Amino acid sequence: MEQVGLAATADVTLWSLFMQAGLVVKLVMIGLLAASVWTWAIMVDKTIAFNKARRQFDNFEQVFWSGQSLEELYRTLSDRQTSGMGAIFVAAMREWKKSFERGARSPIGLQMRIDRAMDVTLAREAESFEARLGSLATIGSAGPFVGLFGTVVGIMTSFQAIAGSKSTNLAVVAPGIAEALLATAIGLLAAIPAVIAYNKFSADAAKLSARMEGFADEFSAILSRQIDEKLQTRQAAQ
Amino acid sequence: MKASLITSSVVHAMVLTLALASFGSPEPFEVMDVESLPVDIVPVESITQIQQGDKTAPKAEKSSPVPTKRPDIVENAENVGENTVDLKNTPTPNVKPKETESAAAPEKTEKAPPTPDPVQEEIKASEEQAPAPEPVPQEVAALPESKPEVKPETKPEPVPAETKPAESPEAEALPDNVPTPQMKPKVEKAAEKPVEKPVEKKPETETAKADTKTAEQKKKEQKKAASAKESDFNADEIAALLNKQDPSGGGAKRATEQASLGGKKTTGGNTLSMSEMDALRGQIQNNWSIIPGMADASDVRIKVTIKLDESGAIIGEPEVEATGGTDAARRALSGGARRAVLKSSPFKGLPADKYDSWSEVVVNFDPSSML
Repeated sequence: MEQVGLAATADVTLWSLFMQAGLVVKLVMIGLLAASVWTWAIMVDKTIAFNKARRQFDNFEQVFWSGQSLEELYRTLSDRQTSGMGAIFVAAMREWKKSFERGARSPIGLQMRIDRAMDVTLAREAESFEARLGSLATIGSAGPFVGLFGTVVGIMTSFQAIAGSKSTNLAVVAPGIAEALLATAIGLLAAIPAVIAYNKFSADAAKLSARMEGFADEFSAILSRQIDEKLQTRQAAQ
Repeated sequence: MKASLITSSVVHAMVLTLALASFGSPEPFEVMDVESLPVDIVPVESITQIQQGDKTAPKAEKSSPVPTKRPDIVENAENVGENTVDLKNTPTPNVKPKETESAAAPEKTEKAPPTPDPVQEEIKASEEQAPAPEPVPQEVAALPESKPEVKPETKPEPVPAETKPAESPEAEALPDNVPTPQMKPKVEKAAEKPVEKPVEKKPETETAKADTKTAEQKKKEQKKAASAKESDFNADEIAALLNKQDPSGGGAKRATEQASLGGKKTTGGNTLSMSEMDALRGQIQNNWSIIPGMADASDVRIKVTIKLDESGAIIGEPEVEATGGTDAARRALSGGARRAVLKSSPFKGLPADKYDSWSEVVVNFDPSSML
């Protein structure tokens, strides 16, 4: 089949569309593609991390409420790299040991110090959960605009080309517009998963943080009871 | 994070290659190979109005007059018939049409043929009578050489010398007029008649009077002769110029199809169509300078009645009627309308075949819509 003139040049595969595009549109497309890759990388990473954290929480809670001695638990955990609830537990126990075993006088001061230590650890852990969710949000909100920018630039150049060629034939107009629209398509392709992922992971992170906070409060109550008991026995001994 | 980034990249690469493979080049739309049709807007009047046909023939989808036998000669003929000339009247059945043989106009000769008006003949007659015995007027006329001989003979014999002055110019004038080879015998006949008349009329006693008369007549005759030289009208040859063909009516348009019901003539849209009317109105509006911001102009309605001739020019004055609004506005606008109509006078674009409908046109204007 021999095609003549415009029909021969009107190759509209995705690759040819990309190659026909101008430099700005190409940069926009490449940037959006990179954003999409980054979005999915974050999604994969977060999914793995959150699953892992959830599993750890479950294990820790199981161990914690199994009636095992806290001293023993502390001893086994302090050797390892801990995160999440374990980290909170280790931080609180460390503070408790430091203050109580050296013979702290004020139980209120001790309680406050333990709470502070747990809060700091909690904040650090929560931050690690929410890390990179911000970039998801940025991609989700800015992606369509970036794509639209590419489209507008592409359509501008294609209209300039039409003005140059002095032909409004649809075969002349169409490829330029299709190529320009590809930028918006890629923008949407990157932005939609990013928005969905951001909503899901921020909700997950909030849930995990709440769970950690609950544990911290519980553990704080246990420790406070322990402090009271120890102080009483010490006073009785004296 | 590194692992997930790699995972994401790999997945993206896979998806992209899949997209490139599956999207590929989208199938071009199949365009049906339809033959293009010219579309024209035809006014419905040409179909809904009476079509040319035969009044007695049965009804058919397309009306057509009785078929004719002769081949087509006349172009753009309107009336159906076997005639060679397109005439509106009904054909006379008995006459077989024949080629007309109308005589060509006589060639213009250097010397005009003698005008055989009775006056001249009368003079001749009187001249013959006044001298006594020689009744040879024709010979005198025919031979110019004989003229000088004739004169001396005739002169002495008449009683007074009154005829002399009359005769000499006459005789000189005669030879100029005389030699006419085309002369028909009729002329002689015509000449004889007046000869008799003066004989009866003129009593011999009043010769003097007659002489004065002849003098006047001669002057007249001279004038006539002069004028005859200019126009080659010959009353005696009128008959030759006449068309001797018997009147035969009927049109010259040929019909070839089966006769079917219809009117005598296609009256296709004998009314001006809206677009034609608008074109006419537009021509007037273009020449109409309406003063903007005139008070009460919006209430005035103007009706212009125009009579047009076939070239589109106005006959007489346009009648302008204005209603509504104030007196001043009416006056101003009707004056403007009159000027506009006169200015746009020969109207263009009016269909010549619908002249009946636009020979008198009434155009209504709402000046507020033109502000």
